[in-house]
Amino acid sequence: MQTLHINGDTHQLDVPADMPLLWVLRDVLKMTGTKFGCGIAQCGACTVQLDGKPARSCMLPVGSLGDQAVTTIEAIGATPEGARIQKAWLKAEVVQCGYCQSGQIMSATALLKAVPKPADADIDAAMAGNICRCGTYIRIREAIKQAAQS
Amino acid sequence: MRTIKILMGLACLVAVVGIGFIAWTVLGRDPIHFAKGPRVTLAAYTGPSVTGAPPDLAHADLVMRGEYLTRAADCQACHTTDGGVPFAGGRAFKLPFGTLFSPNITPDQATGIGAWSDAEFLRAVHKGVGRGGKPLYPAFPYAAYTLLTDDDVLAIKAYLFSVKPIHAVAPENTLVFPFNQRLLMTVWSAMFDADTRFEPVADRAPEWNRGAYLVEAAGHCGECHSPRNLFQAIDNRKKFAGAVADGWRAYNISSDKPTGIGSWSEAQLASYLTNGHAAGRGSPAGPMREAVDMSLAHLTPGDVKAVVAYLRTVPPIADPALPATLAGPAPASAAKGPDGNPHGKALFAGACASCHDWTGSGALTANATLTGARAVNDPSAVNVVQMILTGNHDLVGKTQAYMPAFGPAYTDLEVADLANYVTARFGTAGRPIGPADVARFRQLR
Repeated sequence: MQTLHINGDTHQLDVPADMPLLWVLRDVLKMTGTKFGCGIAQCGACTVQLDGKPARSCMLPVGSLGDQAVTTIEAIGATPEGARIQKAWLKAEVVQCGYCQSGQIMSATALLKAVPKPADADIDAAMAGNICRCGTYIRIREAIKQAAQS
Repeated sequence: MRTIKILMGLACLVAVVGIGFIAWTVLGRDPIHFAKGPRVTLAAYTGPSVTGAPPDLAHADLVMRGEYLTRAADCQACHTTDGGVPFAGGRAFKLPFGTLFSPNITPDQATGIGAWSDAEFLRAVHKGVGRGGKPLYPAFPYAAYTLLTDDDVLAIKAYLFSVKPIHAVAPENTLVFPFNQRLLMTVWSAMFDADTRFEPVADRAPEWNRGAYLVEAAGHCGECHSPRNLFQAIDNRKKFAGAVADGWRAYNISSDKPTGIGSWSEAQLASYLTNGHAAGRGSPAGPMREAVDMSLAHLTPGDVKAVVAYLRTVPPIADPALPATLAGPAPASAAKGPDGNPHGKALFAGACASCHDWTGSGALTANATLTGARAVNDPSAVNVVQMILTGNHDLVGKTQAYMPAFGPAYTDLEVADLANYVTARFGTAGRPIGPADVARFRQLR
């Protein structure tokens, strides 16, 4: 039995300790906003936040979570940074196919919280692990800068 | 006349020095010489048995005890190809003078050991002589296995005879002259295979002697962790001082505090050997990952304790190539840390930071912790490069540790720049490595 704190709710789940958080989110809790991409923490599509820090949920065993608070794309809009990022995302029309975007938004929100006025180098370092095959990187950078100024 | 006398005198001197050197080399073959105490035969040793399967398996049948001992001796690692059927052989060992292939040791009559008698099997394991009198190469660690008791060797045989026979012929060895002359191995054996069974040290505790038996007779740890002499035999005068094996650094496991395992706690050692990770010390990879997953992780807690107790007593030898202190955690901010290698940093940001974190403390699981690991603190960066090239994964699924192999995707320059960034950020950067170094490491594989 695992106790998980997700988006403000506490869940008691009968899942193995070595099950990746992504599986629990998508298959057990049916929270499908977080996407499966590569499964080996190389693409960033599955990014969630643990106590505000970005984490790849595909390689994260639920047994290692402890008391950390998990935030997913379903609830990120309720945080101040998340709301600003989502607004800027819409304004800059970042999204193309959209598959990677929940991960992009989770990483960008965590960056904004840690570094309120990020420079290009900060954005590069924080977003480098989130891959977008549509190539929306330029608009992502633009939207992060807009959100930082809003 | 006088000239002849001088020449003869010189010849005698050369002969004496030569024989003396060889004798000195041969005398360095006893792996537990350092313990000094009086040696007794197993029959004369009082106290609980230090050989065989552990008491936990006292009521198990011969095959089960054999399975335990086969794991303790880690037969599978060498006698299996990557992804191949266990014990079917064919794994390549690239040496400077050619490639050796491990034979099939499944009980197949034609291509395995199915037709071998007990006596033939014992002779191979103890004396390095195969069926029909064929001298075996000491890549097969019979100089260590010779310490195994007859009962234990035959239990291993019983287990091997219980697995499914596989029809598989290993490729021909490609050794160059004179190393392709197997008869030379007879001389080597005479020098370096003591051909005696394990003799406990009478004034040491049973736990220590059990540890010695597991480490020296079964585990053959020295094959990778001890330097070798001129004859490529293990030099037990530099016991466990560290060496290179299969292209990886097998680090110093003597009790030296700065560069060996002298400052590791008992719990850290036991966890590293059986869980594939020790807090603050990193995780095994490469050949040691195999040793952990196929062998050490299967030992009983009592046997692991014995191994640790024994390792603790190996005299300290410092490795001058390693720094005396390990680097602490790196800064949490990506903006801080080493400058001057933007290419390496960009690669790290894209492929590595999501698991290892910018601090090196592991973003997702402790298995990915770089802080405190010997590899990132090794100025040669050998194991960092190997790790980037080959990745790492837990073969038995105890920890779910996994790292993808970047070798197939990255150029030599990318691997070099990334390795230099990793050692600079998380360890004690030495001379930066270049693409030519990476190309050389790739050749070793």
